[in-house]
Amino acid sequence: MTTTTASDLASTTPRAPGTRARTAAPDRGPAARARRRRLLHWIAVHAVAVAAALFFVLPFVFVLLTSVMSDDQAMSGELWPDEWNWSNYATVFRTPGFLDWWKNSLLYAGLGTLFTVGSAVPVAYALARFRFRGRRTAMILVIATMMLPPQVIVVPMYLVWAQQLHLSGSLWPLIIPMAFGDAYSIFLLRQFLLTIPQEYIEAAKVDGCGELRTLLKVVVPMARPGLAAVALFQFFFCWNDYFGPQIYAAQNPASWTLSYGLESFKTAHSVNWNLTMAATLLVMAPVVIVFFFAQRAFVEGVKLTGVKG
Amino acid sequence: MASSSLAPPPGLRRRRNRARLRTAGFLSPWLIGFSVFFAYPLIATVYFSFMHYNQIEEPDFVGLRNWKYVLTQMPLFGPALWNTLWLVVVMVALRIVFGLGIGLLVTKIKSATGFFRTAFYLPYLAPPVAATVAFVFLLNPGTGPVNGILGALGIPAPAWFNDPGWAKPSLVMLSLWGIGDLMVIFMAALLDVPKEQYEAAELDGAGAWRKFRYVTWPSITPIVMFAVVTGVVQTMQYYTQALVAGKLASGVSVGPGSVVQPGYPEHSTLTVPQLVYSLGFQNFNTGAACVLSLVLFVIAMAVTTLLMRKRAGLLPAEDRSV
Amino acid sequence: MPFPRMRTFLSVALAGAGLLVPGCAHPSVGSDRDDPAKPVTLRFWHGWSNAGEVKAIEDSVARFEKLHPNITVKVIGNVTDETVNQVLRAGGDEAPDVVSSFTTNNVGQYCSSGMWADLDPFMRKTGVDKEKVFPKTFLEYTSYEGRQCALPLLADAYGLYYNKDAFKEAGIARPPRTMSELRRAAVKLTRRTGDGSYERVGIMPNFRFYENSPDRLFAQWGPAYFDRQGKARLAEDPRTKEFFATQRALIRAQGGYAALERFRATFGDEMSSQNAFLTQKVAMHMDGEWRGLMLKDQKAKFGWGTAPMPVPDDRADTYGRGCLTGTVAGIAHSSRHQNAAWELVRFLTVNTDQVVRFANAIHNVPSTKAALKSPELDTDPTFRTFLDIARNPYSTAIPPSVNGGQYIVTLRDFAYDVEAGKVPDLDRGLRGLDAQIDADNLQSQN
Repeated sequence: MTTTTASDLASTTPRAPGTRARTAAPDRGPAARARRRRLLHWIAVHAVAVAAALFFVLPFVFVLLTSVMSDDQAMSGELWPDEWNWSNYATVFRTPGFLDWWKNSLLYAGLGTLFTVGSAVPVAYALARFRFRGRRTAMILVIATMMLPPQVIVVPMYLVWAQQLHLSGSLWPLIIPMAFGDAYSIFLLRQFLLTIPQEYIEAAKVDGCGELRTLLKVVVPMARPGLAAVALFQFFFCWNDYFGPQIYAAQNPASWTLSYGLESFKTAHSVNWNLTMAATLLVMAPVVIVFFFAQRAFVEGVKLTGVKG
Repeated sequence: MASSSLAPPPGLRRRRNRARLRTAGFLSPWLIGFSVFFAYPLIATVYFSFMHYNQIEEPDFVGLRNWKYVLTQMPLFGPALWNTLWLVVVMVALRIVFGLGIGLLVTKIKSATGFFRTAFYLPYLAPPVAATVAFVFLLNPGTGPVNGILGALGIPAPAWFNDPGWAKPSLVMLSLWGIGDLMVIFMAALLDVPKEQYEAAELDGAGAWRKFRYVTWPSITPIVMFAVVTGVVQTMQYYTQALVAGKLASGVSVGPGSVVQPGYPEHSTLTVPQLVYSLGFQNFNTGAACVLSLVLFVIAMAVTTLLMRKRAGLLPAEDRSV
Repeated sequence: MPFPRMRTFLSVALAGAGLLVPGCAHPSVGSDRDDPAKPVTLRFWHGWSNAGEVKAIEDSVARFEKLHPNITVKVIGNVTDETVNQVLRAGGDEAPDVVSSFTTNNVGQYCSSGMWADLDPFMRKTGVDKEKVFPKTFLEYTSYEGRQCALPLLADAYGLYYNKDAFKEAGIARPPRTMSELRRAAVKLTRRTGDGSYERVGIMPNFRFYENSPDRLFAQWGPAYFDRQGKARLAEDPRTKEFFATQRALIRAQGGYAALERFRATFGDEMSSQNAFLTQKVAMHMDGEWRGLMLKDQKAKFGWGTAPMPVPDDRADTYGRGCLTGTVAGIAHSSRHQNAAWELVRFLTVNTDQVVRFANAIHNVPSTKAALKSPELDTDPTFRTFLDIARNPYSTAIPPSVNGGQYIVTLRDFAYDVEAGKVPDLDRGLRGLDAQIDADNLQSQN
């Protein structure tokens, strides 16, 4: 990349009016100095960028390289595989339970997302649009819930699920509450709904729509980007969740999710760093794939958390 | 309900009641969820903090014994609190500085922007357990590639997750690796800074630092504040990475039966949430676990109230007037 | 009906939620009135995860099912104590009938809480005389305050593994028998490279090394952790200080804590082919009998032998002792088929033929008197060493406690500080340790 010529550079540098016209002039004078300074600046920025990229990308590379090594080589500290054992991935898939972990992760993340979005929409709409006494209190309580570390209430919550409802050992104690409004999703969605111009809603009302129909026919379609962001966040929250499954699903290997199973995979295969690394990549893969398909919604969502506030 | 003393006409009241019913209907999922999955367990946590309860025999009232035990006698309380606060200060601060740096860098990159943005963002997507497993492998002092490379270059390599002094910095490094969320937020904020202001500053002969200090910084302060608040909240819950790193790095064969004490090495990665888990679900010391939960609750609420006062932008202006 | 104000609504909701609070007791649904001859399905949970061990336990269950065709056993493996503890507390249909645990640490809790059923009535009903069947030490670590809620399901003994080639090269004739012999041998066996770093240490005394938990080495002194009232008494027992002094002397003799700790960081995973004994980075180490099987599987490239761990110089007559522990099995309080469950427990723990076959299969020490004498046992001398340790009258297991052996964890943390030189005043430190152990125990009692 550092071999880029000066003219390439000029064309990729905005806010350099007239640069191209003067490139024919000899390397002298203020224009040339400015150009040289820009070149140095370009090199500096991209050198830092390459260094940063190495920091971000190299771990993936090492993990990938290790995942195809033989058992012994994976423990040797060597960087380049002597042989490329792609069969390690097949071995991981054949590990008893691995496919169940996938299934459970999909169940938890899928149902969890569905329930969360479904229950967050009316609540967020009410908080964004209705004027009622206690709205501010409700909003503060939503934010307080969002801020609260889940560990604060986990012990009594577990006791109810385990000893009264006998649902520990399954993912239901994690999925069911999501049908009752997740604070973070409500908050995000509300922020998004505030950006929908009031006129559309008024127009629907003039057409004789009730609140529910307005919500379903007008607001939800317009809020699709916001909904997509909330859904993605929730999906990844569930997919990545370790604490929840550790509390509720740990007791029953048939309910383990990928995130929880991966850690036990390392424990059971303490000697096989190659297999562990293959499994690690297989846990990362779905998230990365979804990212490439839903890149926009993702980035919008992240921005939504910060900028729209 | 002061207004009702004036006895409004029946039609208005009916309409108002209908509106209330409608509001309640829309809010009902959250009202139920809030009561059952938030308010109830919070009350129960207070209740159990005064009980001796091993989750088999009936709970027994023991007064302040659990509180006295946790606050004055439990040896792990101090280290756990210290580690959590350390992480809240150091990890959040470094993440903001680094995130801002990467965000700035991304706005300056002119070639292969797509590649760089994706590369910087991807690690954020790695599930925490997977990322931690990978880092424990990479930073393994005996067989990991990082120390292999450092050794080959003749640089003295630390023992990372196996050294009580380096374990928390290693966790910070792991969190910097996943900086993608902050990068995007800061990048968006930086691109929103009006260009004319930079040009005006340039005309005034401002250098890079002065431009940042007087143009960039004022317009991104709300976002930085937001990042601080969310960062503090997340870090107070810091659990998965610390637990998995400690467990895997300890290298002790965690054969079934051996209950793994969190915090390896030397309690240096033990955070308050891990201690809650350990007390509640390994030792079944329900009372002590609930006391610790409440300590965490008080700190979390105090910190967030403090930060929210500083206009973190969580409650938008129009809400303040409701 | 007008909708109540938000605040009223919330307080009603909260009050309703509050009603749930005290209702956390769960009735014990277990029963010991079932007929063990009727068709029944039992759930049996164990902790083994290694393929060979899983097969051994499943073969054992198959033999049981042949003897009791009316009983079907559903086996679930790789279960941790954490899980057993949580599930037995939660109850429910999926809870196990027969449970086992790899450690004896939780027996006190299992017995005192009643989570594991008392086995004495079952033994009386079926004519098992426990004093005749099991060695005394094994009965001690499976009971608490007179309640025998578990029985030993094979045992583990700790001894010394040593590298015979290294011994020959260093001119040492036999494994050390006293702690000072151990120290001298360790020094002779330590080898350094040109730049002064270790190539091999005689023994790695640091407590974080693989199986080096301080309670296991302390067993060579035969300590009593508690007095009759159950108060910790480590400070007043001179053996405690001797033990710490011995360990620190071992560290000093081989180059100091920091240097050894740096060397330890380069060791591979305990359960892998990179195990430091296998890669000859340590010439001697304390370990359980199962390690022999692994050394054979991995085809160690040197000659190795086993011996009891050395004893303190002034207690040379106790040579042959070692730390004992073991897997334990019992019946869940919530089981509705406790008589049938007892049949399985009895088969696994009392039946001589079964105990011997299982011990040979997973290379553990058998846990009944008859099985320990059985001619069918593996005759490998490196394994026999551990049978002798198990039979040695001086061998001890750690005393049971009400809170899952938390005092061992506390002792371990204290020992880490001592070995790192962070406890300048050992006497004061030990008094603090006793106070801590007592406070933790008090906190766990009603």
